[in-house]
Amino acid sequence: MEDKKKLFEERLKRYQGAIALAPVDRVPIAAGANYFAETYSGLTKQQFVYDSSKWMEADKKFVEDFPEVDALRSGRIWGPLHDIVGYNMYKLPGRDLPPDVQFQFIEGERMKADEYDLLISNPGQFLLERVLPRVFNELKEPGSMRAHVAFLKAGMAQMYLAGAMKQRALHLQNELGMPQPMVGVMLAPFDMLADGLRGLKGIMTDIHRRPDKVLEACDAIIPDMVNAALATADPLRRYPIFMPLHRGCHPFLSPKQFDTFYWPSLKKAMLMLIDAGYTIRAFLEGDWSPNWHHMRELPKGKVLCDIDGPGDIFKAKADFGDCQCIAGGLSDSLLILGTPDEIRERVRKLCEVVGRDGGFIMNGGCCIPYDAKPENYRAMIDATLEYGRYSDRTDFEIQCDPNPPAGWKPPKAGVITPWEVKKAELGHIYGDEELIKGPWEMFERMAYNWLWAWTW
Amino acid sequence: MAELTALAKALVELDEEQVMELVKQKLDAGEPAMNIIKECNEGMAGIGKRFEDGVYFLSELIFSAEILQNVMAELEPHLKESDQKAESRGIVVLGTVKGDIHDIGKNIVATLLTGAGFEVVDLGVDVPTEAFVEKVKETGAKVLGMSALLSFTYPEMKTVIDALKDAGIRDKVTVIIGGAPCNEQVREFVGADYYAIDAVTGVNISKQVYG
Repeated sequence: MEDKKKLFEERLKRYQGAIALAPVDRVPIAAGANYFAETYSGLTKQQFVYDSSKWMEADKKFVEDFPEVDALRSGRIWGPLHDIVGYNMYKLPGRDLPPDVQFQFIEGERMKADEYDLLISNPGQFLLERVLPRVFNELKEPGSMRAHVAFLKAGMAQMYLAGAMKQRALHLQNELGMPQPMVGVMLAPFDMLADGLRGLKGIMTDIHRRPDKVLEACDAIIPDMVNAALATADPLRRYPIFMPLHRGCHPFLSPKQFDTFYWPSLKKAMLMLIDAGYTIRAFLEGDWSPNWHHMRELPKGKVLCDIDGPGDIFKAKADFGDCQCIAGGLSDSLLILGTPDEIRERVRKLCEVVGRDGGFIMNGGCCIPYDAKPENYRAMIDATLEYGRYSDRTDFEIQCDPNPPAGWKPPKAGVITPWEVKKAELGHIYGDEELIKGPWEMFERMAYNWLWAWTW
Repeated sequence: MAELTALAKALVELDEEQVMELVKQKLDAGEPAMNIIKECNEGMAGIGKRFEDGVYFLSELIFSAEILQNVMAELEPHLKESDQKAESRGIVVLGTVKGDIHDIGKNIVATLLTGAGFEVVDLGVDVPTEAFVEKVKETGAKVLGMSALLSFTYPEMKTVIDALKDAGIRDKVTVIIGGAPCNEQVREFVGADYYAIDAVTGVNISKQVYG
């Protein structure tokens, strides 16, 4: 137990230190999403998505065989919760796909072009009344017995999942000495519209047909998105909040469109998380090279950027590597089709060029793919130990704080039924109002945040 | 290329209202639907050119496809059966490979190919190996485009190409792969002829093949 604690702290220091651009002993090995760890467990993709009791076993096997890894996160989708609400935005292995095919997102339009004003004026009502009935098959008849029970079960299942995730996190930390690469998630406001609400075709036509509405909506949803992200983040602020940035890449948007539609609201939202005391792990999906210079506008050493396969990681280092930590460098095709020798050579070059002076984390292009060859993954680790060494110790002081920075105020919390309404209904309160109000508001906020979990 | 017509120009500029207005005017004036389509195709070629030149990006391609779709809906009642196949530059078979359900990239390629005068046979997503082979055989297409977004599809693409060999038609068809996880290494592994880095590159390769 003692040595696991020591191991945990060493790994966390190395990971946090690299993100902060501080000196560390070696290049950390820390994928954001490690899909390979799921395959390596020997479980089918269906088992991984459906059977949460297997997760800890899988983590253990992986960490035992790859103890050099500095952070681990695998499996984010839990099928039973999807089934309970009839969530129709994903195809799941074993349910809609063969048991060993990976889950997939289904593109589509879940918000109509003329619904921007509803979203902007009352996001909670809009999600409840318009979006959820479209994305939850169990809500086809709102108000029916089946719909009521679906919501009831969903709340229960969410709590069950939260318990399983907590147990898993403690197992990783205490039994395996393993930190997590990120906890909690937030999209870019533009991506919230582009992914789950308007869909790609919708958003790409909206920026031509109704650009003002797109901009207004991106700004309007920031407080809710930030609150939902903070609610799912690590309470001790040790791990970054994950931001998968989907549609900011070249060539989806022109640099001018990026500067107009994508970046301003994204920057605001990111700064709000940083102000709350968090770091961010941003996955720059696709090729971000025309746009990633913007990362310089954020506080130094607060945003770890994963460079995807199509992006040139050497250019990333040159463009903003002195300001933010960079992860990546091994493409899917190299990990799946390449040879250990090719991996070694690539890792050597990455460590020498991108890893020079620190601020670099070894990873695939965003993730380690399911089908990476185990011998290639092993070669990546061995070569990182060989070429990625800086010194024999990390002096970085671990960042761990349950409290936000002094003076920080959370964005206004969204609720469906404010306390004032409830209080008026209760009429006279005989005892201590705060004892009643506190839990009421806590669960209101939890429920409201939950609404935002179903739009991507 | 000759000077663009007003309709083609409006399409290149993505002036949706102007495009629809001009189409209505032309239909009212009795202009054959096929002529209008020809003008639109010239406009789409202009849009592809702007993409190549780095002036337009995917949002413009997607929006132009949307406008074109509205034009086609307007023209539909005016098209005669004999119009459909007229003046095809050649047939291109397209599809997203087995297991993968993503189609945004493939659809953009299909729109641009159609705009460039090709007849596109779009097999959709999650296309089984046999369907690719049969369709290439049946149509005699000289170009087959396979699309993928997920990296597990590498072996699937290879399987399709092996099946083309087994069917004895590999040398009759040029195979192009495209999509986020593809690159030259993947092309070599699966045995395709080309990797197209973007939709316009795919269209240009098809033009080369058909001369």
